[in-house]
Amino acid sequence: MKERDLMLLHYITGIGILVFGSIHIATVFLTYPFQGTIWETTLRFDSIPYAILPVYRNALLAASLFGLLLCTTIHAMNGLRSIIAELIGARKRWVETLLVAVGAFLLVYGTRTILIANALV
Amino acid sequence: MVERVKFRVFRYRPEDGGRGIYREYEVPVKKGMTILDGLIYIKENLDPTLSVRYSCRMAICGSCGVRVNAIETLACHTQILELRRRLITVEPMRNYPLIKDLVTDMAPLFRKQKALMTWLIRQDTEEQENPTRQYLQSEEELERYLQFTYCIQCGLCYSACPVVSTFPDFYGPQPLMKAYRYYADSRDEGGVVRTRLVDRFEGVWRCHFAGSCSAVCPKGVDPALAIQLLRRAALKG
Ligand code: SF4
Ligand code: FES
Repeated sequence: MKERDLMLLHYITGIGILVFGSIHIATVFLTYPFQGTIWETTLRFDSIPYAILPVYRNALLAASLFGLLLCTTIHAMNGLRSIIAELIGARKRWVETLLVAVGAFLLVYGTRTILIANALV
Repeated sequence: MVERVKFRVFRYRPEDGGRGIYREYEVPVKKGMTILDGLIYIKENLDPTLSVRYSCRMAICGSCGVRVNAIETLACHTQILELRRRLITVEPMRNYPLIKDLVTDMAPLFRKQKALMTWLIRQDTEEQENPTRQYLQSEEELERYLQFTYCIQCGLCYSACPVVSTFPDFYGPQPLMKAYRYYADSRDEGGVVRTRLVDRFEGVWRCHFAGSCSAVCPKGVDPALAIQLLRRAALKG
């Protein structure tokens, strides 16, 4: 992949994070009036599986969550690629391979979580 | 009126190894004296072993780049009294191999310029060898790159660049700016080749737009702007 295509992807995923991230935060915070107190639903993380999951049993929101996962993973791995190169002062092939592997793992694991949350599997 | 100002000068001799030391010298300063005048005074009167590079003494040749109180500047272009300090620290530029004292090896800058083919690329080699006409340009065409031709290759921007500091393979502000200078020139035919060269991991994308290159340029050139314009060119392909 050309560097310019990667960077274009970096900018697009950055905007994606902003859009999908906003949807995600809005969903989490705006749904609490219908679910009980904010503490019970969103801020008490141990209650999240019970309180917030029903909200995501909605194909559109699940898709937006997947969008957030995709954008964050691509943006973060590409960002780490240049941060690490600048930190160690050189570009290393094994670092980039490792980042692709970590990114792939995050995508698979995140997708699995979204599917479980949506009771699709 | 003569004032006495203390110069704290970085000294380095390769044969000694190590990281270099700072030596202090007291210099009598008159109005109008530059940092370069101060360094020449030290060399002529206090310590003849001090090495400093200069030539024109009028901000034209670009050979006297140093860091004065941690800011990149031309020694011949900086008046001592205007700094309003009793102690002035003079150090060599960063991001270059050090030769001796304040003298740096500019080879990385010129090597990168060469790698980016920073010259006019044209197909009509015969016309260039035996010119029969002028390459005319309109005023607008000239203005697209004019400010970038003011560069005197002093290398201060390259020294001030924080990305070159941490990632030495980055082409750096001056070579990229010069690549844009030719890219934007209507007489040049190397646009495709040059955008391909800058569209590398070490190329335009590593710039964090810190802006220190443009801030230190003694000629008012804006390499940070050139890099952003070059990014646009690289995206267009
Ligand atoms: S752009 Fe400015 S600071 Fe950089 S080499 Fe040219 S004249 Fe010097
Ligand atoms: S001596 Fe020529 S620029 Fe300073």
